[in-house]
Amino acid sequence: MSDFAVLEATARDRAGKGAARAVRKQGLVPGVIYGSSDASVLLKMDPRILSTHMRKAGFFATQFHVDVEGSKHRVLPKEVQFHPVTDDPIHVDFLRVTDRTRVTVEIPVRFENQEDAPGLTVGGVLNVVRYAVEVVTAAGDIPDEVVIDLSGLEIGDSVRISNVTLPEGVKPSITDRDFVIASIGAPTQIVQEEAAEEDDMDVPTIAEDDAAKEEGGEE
Amino acid sequence: MLSPKRTRYRKQHKGRIHGNAKGGTKLNFGAYGLKATTPDRVTSRQIEAARRAITRHMKRVGKLWICIFPDVPVSQKPAEVRQGKGKGSPEYWAARVHPGRIMFELDGVPEDVARRAFDLASAKLPVQTRFIKRLEEE
Repeated sequence: MSDFAVLEATARDRAGKGAARAVRKQGLVPGVIYGSSDASVLLKMDPRILSTHMRKAGFFATQFHVDVEGSKHRVLPKEVQFHPVTDDPIHVDFLRVTDRTRVTVEIPVRFENQEDAPGLTVGGVLNVVRYAVEVVTAAGDIPDEVVIDLSGLEIGDSVRISNVTLPEGVKPSITDRDFVIASIGAPTQIVQEEAAEEDDMDVPTIAEDDAAKEEGGEE
Repeated sequence: MLSPKRTRYRKQHKGRIHGNAKGGTKLNFGAYGLKATTPDRVTSRQIEAARRAITRHMKRVGKLWICIFPDVPVSQKPAEVRQGKGKGSPEYWAARVHPGRIMFELDGVPEDVARRAFDLASAKLPVQTRFIKRLEEE
């Protein structure tokens, strides 16, 4: 399996938030590779390399070779932390894997035959509940995507995990219920816009509300 | 307009908005979102004005989610009243919005329609905003 994309990275020696902040000041993203029985590897990498791959669907289900100054690690991206305001990546975690490693990954969902869904052609909206389905599988058998056929669906219909055929050896991580992946809903209706209503400031406090209920109950 | 059904106390301290948002910084429902980049109190009237601007621009397609709720009662004293004599009466409801908070989410419309709708909504809001979309597009 040598067709994985290679991510270039350099090693960093110190752990902790001070060291991570110093790395960010250099314009790089701190990260770590962990997993299996080997020691963790601290690294730093160019955010542009990371962003290029993150824009593609299924980044967290795609395996890479991370090249840390000559030593290559086969990894699966586990988590990317983002800055809440700028949405720049501020830390990346990679999980070291082999073909047989059991992993829990999110597989992107792709919808097809949208034009054959009567519910969508009459103005309904595809309400995607899950853009990705979390599955448990061996790292060597991670599917690229989950394809969902929407043909024949009306407004109010939904697609559940039981309607999807997953490859052999791939199981959804949620097993206790038949969860919804997407549904076809009615569009947002423009209600008749009334004259600007005032804020209702006569909101009862919890104590007043309970007292009123008790009075009502006694009568 | 949005307002709580009941509250624990009628009046609250003014408070300050410190730091960045701790939650609600990623898209949960829609493909597009409007993110605040500055802190401010957003009143229920402003939320309603923004909602109307968005739904009018979308016409009858798409779906909108409002991800903030005005749960802070803001009190005011009447005009030409001297200081003292207690806190004023509650006048309106507001949501405390931290930088990074996604206020609206949108789905089911093309990107250019979503951008224009959020531009119109942004003009109704007291915070600086940024248009965001789901990363995994291709």
